[in-house]
Amino acid sequence: MEGSDMQEIVLKGFGEVVKTITFRIRRYDPENKELPKYMEYKVPIQKGMTVLDSILYIKEHLDHSLAARYSCRMGICGSCGMIINGKEKLACQTQVLELGKNLIKVDPMGNYEITKDLVPDVSKLFRNHETVKPFIIREEEEPKSEFLQTPEQREEFAMFTDCILCGMCLSACPTSASDELYLGPQALAQGYRYIADNRDLGFNERLNALDSKHGVWRCHFSGACSEVCPKGVDPALAIQLLRQVLTTNVFVKFKQKGTTKAPERKSVSGVS
Amino acid sequence: MRESQLMFLQYLTGLLVVVFGSFHFLLISVLSPSPDKILYAYSGTSGAHVLVGGTLFYSWVRAVYSSLIWGSVLELLLTFLVFHVFNGFRVVLSEIFPGTRADKIITYALVIVALVVFIWGSRTVVLALNGGF
Amino acid sequence: MTIENKKGWIFWFNPFKYGTDRWMYALHRLTGIVLGLYLMAHVWETSNILNGPVTWNKIMVDLDYPFGVHYGPYILSAILIAASYHALNGIRLTIVENGLLLPKPYRPEFPYKPKSLKGLNNVLKLAVAIFMLVICGIGIVFIFTGAIV
Repeated sequence: MEGSDMQEIVLKGFGEVVKTITFRIRRYDPENKELPKYMEYKVPIQKGMTVLDSILYIKEHLDHSLAARYSCRMGICGSCGMIINGKEKLACQTQVLELGKNLIKVDPMGNYEITKDLVPDVSKLFRNHETVKPFIIREEEEPKSEFLQTPEQREEFAMFTDCILCGMCLSACPTSASDELYLGPQALAQGYRYIADNRDLGFNERLNALDSKHGVWRCHFSGACSEVCPKGVDPALAIQLLRQVLTTNVFVKFKQKGTTKAPERKSVSGVS
Repeated sequence: MRESQLMFLQYLTGLLVVVFGSFHFLLISVLSPSPDKILYAYSGTSGAHVLVGGTLFYSWVRAVYSSLIWGSVLELLLTFLVFHVFNGFRVVLSEIFPGTRADKIITYALVIVALVVFIWGSRTVVLALNGGF
Repeated sequence: MTIENKKGWIFWFNPFKYGTDRWMYALHRLTGIVLGLYLMAHVWETSNILNGPVTWNKIMVDLDYPFGVHYGPYILSAILIAASYHALNGIRLTIVENGLLLPKPYRPEFPYKPKSLKGLNNVLKLAVAIFMLVICGIGIVFIFTGAIV
């Protein structure tokens, strides 16, 4: 493709070339000890091209060294979260022409360490996710029958199960911006998802992580997490509901170890 | 103390500060013992900066501090405010400097500053109630 | 070598690109810090009541005319605006941060607009704005003219 006219490269599967748009992408290579810098690329945009398509175009035709993480290209896997024109978006779900700008600034997600260029190291997200024990905790070793649940009981937490772990809420959250020990909206929402689940009895076990100095009370309801969530999980709502649970039990003395029975929560297994 | 209990007190003192703070604002306007309800009354033209009256004039402020009811309102307001403000500062600072060690330093430092502010403010209220020096 | 890429505390006061809640968070934090520092100054200032009428009246005049200009009413108005905002928004946060007046968990549907930032929360935000206008209007008129509306 060297030396070829830019207009000649037309990707298949898209409409006609509409206009050329400049991408200003933040580059950072850990191997050469330079600070991050912005580089500009001119991409002919065809109808229907997303930001991810444009990044792949740059990688294919303009600069092979550009690194970006992506997988499904349809907003399911949550790999390609990045900051596009100052706001966290999934690159695969952002139409370039809908942004309506001739210059598009692409940054890697904030509040994470950067592995290279647009690839953040999201191990912090998974670590925090593990901290709140995102699994159903029961007393018995092996269940004797199915755990039953009515549709109404499922609706209590169903929306929070849609989380795809893209990590954009931690990038948008103002508390995470300065407090790296803060669990983050994703982990807190998942904590509530299991606390609200009627099959779960692990409220006390999660309390140490959730009710800590860098737990649920460091949320100040700025709503940025819900604003950027690509799946409408509304983590801010989950955090406020979790706080309601903690506030109503504020004078209850919890046993941090031993039995794991949460207040006023009954098992429904075995009920037909 | 659990974090949820501290933050419960934060909300509670916040609401109490709103109630007592409104009294404090009314105190220097509508409810002031001063006959002319203005903050500052100066003698002559605005060039001469000599205070001769107004709700912030010495005698009227002194009259407020001499009243047991207003004195207790101010003392309670001070108590709630000091807790609310310094717990708020603790939250803000622990978000800038996360970490167990930093949390400890922040807490102890702020407790000391809070006690100084509280004692200094209480000294004013109590001594003024008893007629000053 | 990976770099940290933290946005830092300065991002608290950068509410652009997000919604109204993000703006109110930034203002709440800013007014909170300002009012906290003002409390310490105010405690020192009022402790001068014990030093007799001459000192007190001189300090009142000095604070009304800092640097020889009549800035006092402007400073007091700023404190009133900050205090009324922090108080009213604090009442709103006490309600919504404890899960009251928020929607029940719902099923997200396409454009995926969060409902917790809308609905009754928006009504509360409007109430904050209206009460602030009323309180600041009355207060600032009093501070500048002494007239009680």
